[in-house]
Amino acid sequence: MSGPWSEEAEEDASSLAGTTDVELIKRAWRNEKAAPEILQFEGPLVLRVREQIQLLEETVEESTENGSNDLVVSLYQMDLDRTLFLLRSYLRIRLQKIEKYMIHISKTNLWNRLSEQEKKFAKRCTEIMEKLLEQSVLARLPYGYESFLKQSISSEEDDMVPEPQLDTFVFCKAKDAVGAFQLDDSGDEIVDLVADDLYVIRYKSIKGLVEAGQIDLV
Amino acid sequence: MYGKRASQLLKDQACCENGQFTPFNSDLFDQVISECNEHSLQLQSLIRKIEEQNLDMQTTRNEDHFGAVIHHLSLVRNKRCLMAYMYNRAEIIQGLRWKVGPVLPQEMQEKLNYSEEEYFKNHSAAIEAYMSELDLDLTVDMVPPKDPYIRVRVLDDIGEVCLDDHSISLAKHSLHFLRRTDAEPFISQGLMEEFLE
Repeated sequence: MSGPWSEEAEEDASSLAGTTDVELIKRAWRNEKAAPEILQFEGPLVLRVREQIQLLEETVEESTENGSNDLVVSLYQMDLDRTLFLLRSYLRIRLQKIEKYMIHISKTNLWNRLSEQEKKFAKRCTEIMEKLLEQSVLARLPYGYESFLKQSISSEEDDMVPEPQLDTFVFCKAKDAVGAFQLDDSGDEIVDLVADDLYVIRYKSIKGLVEAGQIDLV
Repeated sequence: MYGKRASQLLKDQACCENGQFTPFNSDLFDQVISECNEHSLQLQSLIRKIEEQNLDMQTTRNEDHFGAVIHHLSLVRNKRCLMAYMYNRAEIIQGLRWKVGPVLPQEMQEKLNYSEEEYFKNHSAAIEAYMSELDLDLTVDMVPPKDPYIRVRVLDDIGEVCLDDHSISLAKHSLHFLRRTDAEPFISQGLMEEFLE
């Protein structure tokens, strides 16, 4: 086919390719992997990806049944495997973060970032961790020192809760220019974030940009 | 010296990190616990002494007060060490579910104490509940797939296994060409290895 129509169609296809659900889950996975704290659960996206996986599985099955070219089938299979890996790894990383920071998450508004199933998981994890520490340490300590969250009765805040290190450095890249961006509260350090340039910045400073989807972690 | 044993407990743990798992050191652990209770008794008696002299608890700064502070701080430090010891072990145990699977080999199991075995089971169950709710197995596909199929060598007599819709016999030392997702559970249990030429 020739003429302006096909060119347009091609352009459409390429701009679409940049935002397919697989691309989006890859982005979510990368961000989740690099961020020290748990990010917002991509519920609708995960649902869509699962639907696509199911579709792909059906395609593979059909092609195998009607004896299509082996190469084609294995290409579909590879595509399927990759998508499945992304999805599994994404969910896994989140569970592992929950395992690590369950108490911190449940005490802060990070809690709202979890899916329903993750919330259940976090609750169970906290219960069993509490039970373990209770049985082996806390129940055997003297009065005043048996709290799970506090070092002793005289601590005013919960000072025994593991928290993620938010000032660790992350690699990041902006899709579109963000412009002059203030790195700290005092306003001393200002960085001009140019599109597609690679930066190494403290996670704490660009936290807001990651959450708003303006910058991607690498 | 106060707090020495507790730090020894953690030093032993730090020495053999990198996924290495040591048997639960219940001797030293119990010693630290009794040290804590000793501190508490001393602390109580010092507080009583201050009270008996009718001094104000908040403002008194005599030798009894500072003695009490030392016992309190030692106790808190011991508690932190004990908790860290258990917590670090719990983190390794969490990782075992992902790396080894729902059944621990005998030599691993021997290194856990009773509460830790319970913990492992409960934690496994929590992961399984999550996976069955999602209807998705998250324990396979631990590394990014390159090829959907891999060559594997069987390390133990596994016998007849049903994969997909056909069954194959997995005899010791035999080589097979399997789907990665089918082979992974066997690999993590140490029953197979990837065969690289």
